[in-house]
Amino acid sequence: MAEARLHPRRWASASGRDTGTAFFFLLPLFALVVALIIYPFYRAIWLSFTDKLVGYPERFVGLRNYLYLLRDDTFREVIRNSLIFTVGSVTLKILSGLAMALVLNGIWRWRNFFRGLFLLPWITSTVIIALTWRWMFDSFPGRGFFNSVLMDAGLLTRPIAFMASPEGAMLAVIIANWWRGFPFFGVSYLAGMQSIPLDLYEAAAVDGAGTWRRFWHITLPGLKHVMIITILLSFIWTINDFNIVYVMTRGGPGTATQVFATYSYEVAFNQLRWGRGVTISIFVVPLFIVGIVLISRYLLRERD
Amino acid sequence: MRHRRISRRHFLAGVLGTSATLALATRAAPAVRKGANLRLWILKTYVAPTNKAIEVSAERWAQKNGATVSVEYFTFEDMQTKYVAAIENKNTPDVGQLETGAPARFAGMGQLLDLTTFARQVEGQIGKPTANVAPVTMVDNKIYAMPWYIMGAFWYVWRDVFEKNKVKLPATYEEAKQAAHVLNRPNENFYGVGQSWNRTSDGYGVMQSLMYSYGVGWAGRDGKYRSIKTPTMQQVMKWATDIYKEGIQPADTLSWTGSQNNENFIAKKIAQTSNGPSITFALEDALAKARDATERKQREEAIANHLALPHPAGPDGRRMWSIAMSLGIFKNTKDPDAAMSLIAHLLSPEETVSVMKESYGQFGPVLDKARDASKDYFNKNDNYRTFGRAAEWFAATGWPGPVTAAAAEVQATNVLTDAPAKVIVDKWSVDQAIEWEDKKIKDVYDTLRS
Repeated sequence: MAEARLHPRRWASASGRDTGTAFFFLLPLFALVVALIIYPFYRAIWLSFTDKLVGYPERFVGLRNYLYLLRDDTFREVIRNSLIFTVGSVTLKILSGLAMALVLNGIWRWRNFFRGLFLLPWITSTVIIALTWRWMFDSFPGRGFFNSVLMDAGLLTRPIAFMASPEGAMLAVIIANWWRGFPFFGVSYLAGMQSIPLDLYEAAAVDGAGTWRRFWHITLPGLKHVMIITILLSFIWTINDFNIVYVMTRGGPGTATQVFATYSYEVAFNQLRWGRGVTISIFVVPLFIVGIVLISRYLLRERD
Repeated sequence: MRHRRISRRHFLAGVLGTSATLALATRAAPAVRKGANLRLWILKTYVAPTNKAIEVSAERWAQKNGATVSVEYFTFEDMQTKYVAAIENKNTPDVGQLETGAPARFAGMGQLLDLTTFARQVEGQIGKPTANVAPVTMVDNKIYAMPWYIMGAFWYVWRDVFEKNKVKLPATYEEAKQAAHVLNRPNENFYGVGQSWNRTSDGYGVMQSLMYSYGVGWAGRDGKYRSIKTPTMQQVMKWATDIYKEGIQPADTLSWTGSQNNENFIAKKIAQTSNGPSITFALEDALAKARDATERKQREEAIANHLALPHPAGPDGRRMWSIAMSLGIFKNTKDPDAAMSLIAHLLSPEETVSVMKESYGQFGPVLDKARDASKDYFNKNDNYRTFGRAAEWFAATGWPGPVTAAAAEVQATNVLTDAPAKVIVDKWSVDQAIEWEDKKIKDVYDTLRS
């Protein structure tokens, strides 16, 4: 077989031409990344170092916005609320997602039907979900679902004002967020479970492992990567969630459910202080970056 | 003493000059270029017929002048977002409806045209605003928007409930609280009052009425910060939180949205609440939709028994915070003359009355000519007589000072309602909450650049 040999100069020329072509084809993607990710991100970081007010030009103020927020008691409440909201929601999503995947993995008949059914919360408009849950927790006579059920069953004489207490309001927004998000976990875990070789279970059963031990030693380790990714993504989505909290409580009662997104919106759009509003959102970015880097390194090490 | 002789030429020149000045001053509105095209932003209220009536009125102007007007709506919910986006993207409308704090904020940003000369020009045609409303549209003695109407909040009570229990209709906040105690029937799921300190005008608006009526303001007459750490503010905070602590409100009141006090009042679950005339609209609208004689009778009784009183007074008088609506022209407009002409048309007594008649009392006139023209309309019954007087009791954000960007921001921070919520929910002391609120207000004034 004749070996194709390129002259070094021709090779360099062809290689250079290929690189140029590659760059040419990558250009649209590069433009998109710059326009949709890098520039807005750079702009947000820049604004956080300015005292930008709506309608006024921005002025560089260094770390003033960050220092202000560190001293702001409302912001400290916002951090606490955001963490409770996020950790609470994500924990519920993991547990219910696992339960959903286990049930669907165990049945053959109607599996696709149930998979579609469980996806309903995921595809329903968030505003509808928030309004529906607000209605469920309502204490208006004859309307709030939970109160009506409890009162009709004779367990209550007066309705409980779920949304009027900090704990109740936080619980309500966590539940609404959990309900919307758990199908994502369920479907991801189901896909993960279906990729675990069946012979592992058969071997474990032969060795006398019960259901719980099989779940603990085969299913969970098999789902490890899927779980890390879903938790990371859901953590980011949940800590940035705006719609559910804004529609259900507007951050109230008082500031009991004020989270990063709602507080940032209030400061940027109602108080017109864009620089400070953007800083509220930017504050959590270093946390995300550290989390993403650590998890990526862990996953890459596992793969190697 | 030496007398100067005036020549005939000087006299004639003087007469001509005076006539020209007068003619200019009394000119109704600037001329409109044929084919002018304007964007008008207006508020979409709960009272749908008002929205339609404004649209029709704008269309009448367009037809008369061979122009076009595209009406775009915003709601209370997205008003800020829409204006902020428009300002930052330099896509503001030609004419925009502005709420109480907007003229001061937007004029400070250099977004609005100075309408001082125009206001004087059309004064003969549309009249003057009341003295307490006029400052809402002024910054440094210049007029940046034309006052249009007031969307007042009133103290709604069920007359039959008060009469049955032989309780006097409340004239002061203390009387309102006392009445609430007498009328309170928690076991029957009926409460004496329903006042939420939430993040809507039903919350921060009522808090301002309460503060101003007690004589508390966070700014002085000069518009500069003034501490609210006073014994009077303690009384205000005590009233605001006692109505929660004393169990005279439904347990979920603090979590109400903007419409839940309406619902609770209309469903007769509370005896008193503060609200705009949208309650009257809802009741009158329900009557028009009654399906049979029984339903009709019930709804007629509800209309007869619901009473809109002026807000209670405090020890320092009766001051009612309301949403003062005005029309401003944005500097980006390509056709300021047409924009002024449209405003003059919308504010004329005839057009104001035509819109007002579709507003169920929500459209309280503030210009003297419109107030005169609408006297008959507001003489319909007790409620409408009260609605028609909204401007008399009006007090703007930042009372007793002018509306400033800082005063508007204080309202926007929600500290006015978060402070009582801290006492009710977080069990702070009244003094602690006032201290916190005062610090937040001072911070706004200290850090807002002019």
